[in-house]
Amino acid sequence: MFDFWSIIRRFLYMIFVLWVVATIIFFMFRLMPGSPLTAFIGTTFTDEQHDLLVKRFGLDKSLFEQYTLFLFNTLKGDFGLSFTYNKPVIDMIVEALPNSIILTLFSLIIAYIFGVIAGAYLAWKRDTLIEGISIPIVLTTRSAPEFWLGMIALAFFSFQLDIFPSGGTSAAGVIYETTLSKLTSLHFYYHLILPSLVLALYLQGLPLLLMRSNMLEVMQEDFVTMSKMKGLSSWRIVIYHAARNALLPVATAFTLGVGFAFGGNVVIETVFSWPGLGRLLVFAVSSSDYPLAQGAFIFLTAILIIMNFLADLMYLFLDPRVSYKTKN
Amino acid sequence: MYKKLSAVLVGFISSLLLSFFVSSASAEEIRSMKLWAREQAAGPAPHTAALIIAQTLNELGLDISVNAVPWPQMADQVWYKRLDEDTWDLTMWQMVSRPERSDPDEFTYNLFHSSTADKGYNFIGYVDPAFDALAEKQRVTMDPAARKVLIDKAQQHLADAAANAYLVHPLLNFAYDNSQFKDGSAVEQAGLGIKNIWTYLGIEPINGNQDLVAQSLDEIQAINPFFISGGTDSWITEIVWDRLLRIGPDGTPQPWAAESFNWVNEQTIDVTLRAGMSWHDGKPVTVDDVIFSFEAPMNAEMVPMYSPFVKNIESMESKGNNVVRFNLKSSNAAFLTSSLAKINLVPKHYYEPILQALEGTGNNAETIIEEKRIGSGPFKFVDWRQREQVILERNSDHFNPPKISRWIMKEIPNVEASLGQFRKGEVNFLTDYKGDPAVLANIVEEDGDITLVKSIDVGFQYMAMNHRRAPFDDVNFRRAVSLAIDRDVMVNAAWAGNAVKAGSHVSPALTYYHKDGITEYETGVELAKKILADAGYTVKNGRLHYPEGVAEKH
Repeated sequence: MFDFWSIIRRFLYMIFVLWVVATIIFFMFRLMPGSPLTAFIGTTFTDEQHDLLVKRFGLDKSLFEQYTLFLFNTLKGDFGLSFTYNKPVIDMIVEALPNSIILTLFSLIIAYIFGVIAGAYLAWKRDTLIEGISIPIVLTTRSAPEFWLGMIALAFFSFQLDIFPSGGTSAAGVIYETTLSKLTSLHFYYHLILPSLVLALYLQGLPLLLMRSNMLEVMQEDFVTMSKMKGLSSWRIVIYHAARNALLPVATAFTLGVGFAFGGNVVIETVFSWPGLGRLLVFAVSSSDYPLAQGAFIFLTAILIIMNFLADLMYLFLDPRVSYKTKN
Repeated sequence: MYKKLSAVLVGFISSLLLSFFVSSASAEEIRSMKLWAREQAAGPAPHTAALIIAQTLNELGLDISVNAVPWPQMADQVWYKRLDEDTWDLTMWQMVSRPERSDPDEFTYNLFHSSTADKGYNFIGYVDPAFDALAEKQRVTMDPAARKVLIDKAQQHLADAAANAYLVHPLLNFAYDNSQFKDGSAVEQAGLGIKNIWTYLGIEPINGNQDLVAQSLDEIQAINPFFISGGTDSWITEIVWDRLLRIGPDGTPQPWAAESFNWVNEQTIDVTLRAGMSWHDGKPVTVDDVIFSFEAPMNAEMVPMYSPFVKNIESMESKGNNVVRFNLKSSNAAFLTSSLAKINLVPKHYYEPILQALEGTGNNAETIIEEKRIGSGPFKFVDWRQREQVILERNSDHFNPPKISRWIMKEIPNVEASLGQFRKGEVNFLTDYKGDPAVLANIVEEDGDITLVKSIDVGFQYMAMNHRRAPFDDVNFRRAVSLAIDRDVMVNAAWAGNAVKAGSHVSPALTYYHKDGITEYETGVELAKKILADAGYTVKNGRLHYPEGVAEKH
């Protein structure tokens, strides 16, 4: 059994990491050249308006005051108002989040199902022509830039063949009454296919190669030889014995991948005009929208750290060799 | 023989000494300088222009290098740190077009009046009492013909002073699908192109098409009648909310929600509200609503961005028969354009409680996020999904109802996808194209059912010089720098033909106020060299030196 105090310690450690990240993010954005207000210049702005804005967003306070205020508000879960949208940051994150999660989860699942099966198969087909052809293809798709893959897919499947729509979550003029009605509409999934396939094409390399190398290792082990001696079919050996053991590291990669899913995908979202968190982040950074950028990054960090924590706890159950018991 | 040689040698050495003595005593070398510009990705044309200009100016004996930086950094240095000791010398800059800029007042006054030099738009630090007088006078001159004379004078005055090195007015590129809209049914507005309310009202859908589907590369930030949030946002607010006047296709203000207006005297104007108008919720538009719409922005804490546009209003009163009287603090020729055609009319019964609820919360009207957006404009708000699309529908009860049934704006962050969707017909009106004009021209040729409309921008691209610092405090030096730049090269090489030459801050698109012939002037490095030599500047060892006795003050 695991020790209660060690979990508390891990939890405190988690809080500490969050504080460090929050501090770095706070100062990083303020050390960037240029005032956030410069993003507005060029619009009809007077001095009074400028001063009002400075006051309104607390930019007239000293850096230290701003920092303490920021920590205090973050503790309360209040990320403030976005400079540019004049809307609570948390609302904006919550609005963009479902789209990003769906896109990334969908792609992750496709990529991991395909990757695991193909990886196991290729391990079995070691030193054959199939392996010789497949591995370079996998490596190419893994290293090809996503935006390039995206643009090619868009040009070919959408603009040339007209099989898939070219972006967004709906055609022009379609209204989803609620998030639920969106998520249950076929029209939405029709728009999801192309971006998620491109993202999956990019993601499948990791589980595939991971699975393949694990399989190659596992298949050297005694219990596989034993199974062969028992006269089991090779199919049975691969699926029931080797693959199950090779899956553990792939599962870890998947969990972390889910954590990253919350961050959205900047490139794919931009190419396919997908309204997710990635685009929100890019906008926030490029327009020096401190509160939005800070809020979004801290939110993402928190999710990632929590996912890591959960993954660690899960290991206790998946693999009995891992223990959190302090060794005295 | 020996004697002769030594005499030559002595003569040579003494002349060398003399020249050294003279140059060190009286003529100072002009320092190396930076020309600020945005990075290439942010705008290929101005970036290329900067490189060409630096090269040209170096032929005069200057040492100028291009300093390409992102916008926040450039704005920080040029705009906010303009009064610092170690600030900028030369920068690429631009003024963009907006409906209210079709009145020459904003550029004439704000860019060059001495009162805006320390913090406002006059970041170049141009201070000239004679010009101030001109700028002030045109503002209070109500008769257009008399005002035209003043605006012409102002343009010539600035050209003689070489206040800025104007480069080009870009051409705006817009296109629509003429298999979905009747060819020629889009309306061009002076200086803004065909992306304007007159097009949205007048464009005729054909072949079963009902909707206008536009696109924007930028994100929509807010749809709020009290918040000037972004360029794209204003395309929406201006058609959901009516204004008393609208800037017409010719660039002049004309009656809209106001049936008529009448100057009682130079500081008093009576506006008659059109009868029978109603809000999108069915309630009638009243004189009280009009007064409320102009009173709300007077609270600068609550509606900061619109407050400058009502600053000149002393008071308002209802005179009966749908007439509102505006009493102004001072006479202002631009009042029609910058106030009456600018302030969104809002229903008092809906917005008054919202503003009251915000009092004392520390938040202002810009934070209003509403379920309903109620205006009286030709389009009603239907739906907005952030980073995706905005849907508006026709207001059939409007006095000037549009022919299209829906106006849809898709947010598509990348240029290629926008073009792809336009070719496919998913977007049928290309409203925001920032890509290569040549690519668009090719597509128009290939497709066969696209109407491309190019128009001259009200805005302009220029190189600004810091008048606060030598040598730019010398009009001869500024003239030489400006005239060294070949404007044909700017148009053809930097802007690839997608621009026209500029000679003043009033675009040729504003046919009435643009001064004829102001874009026609001689340029060239030889001309510049002559101006510099005449003014006493000298070149030594390949570097330009100040006239004798002039030194840098910093």
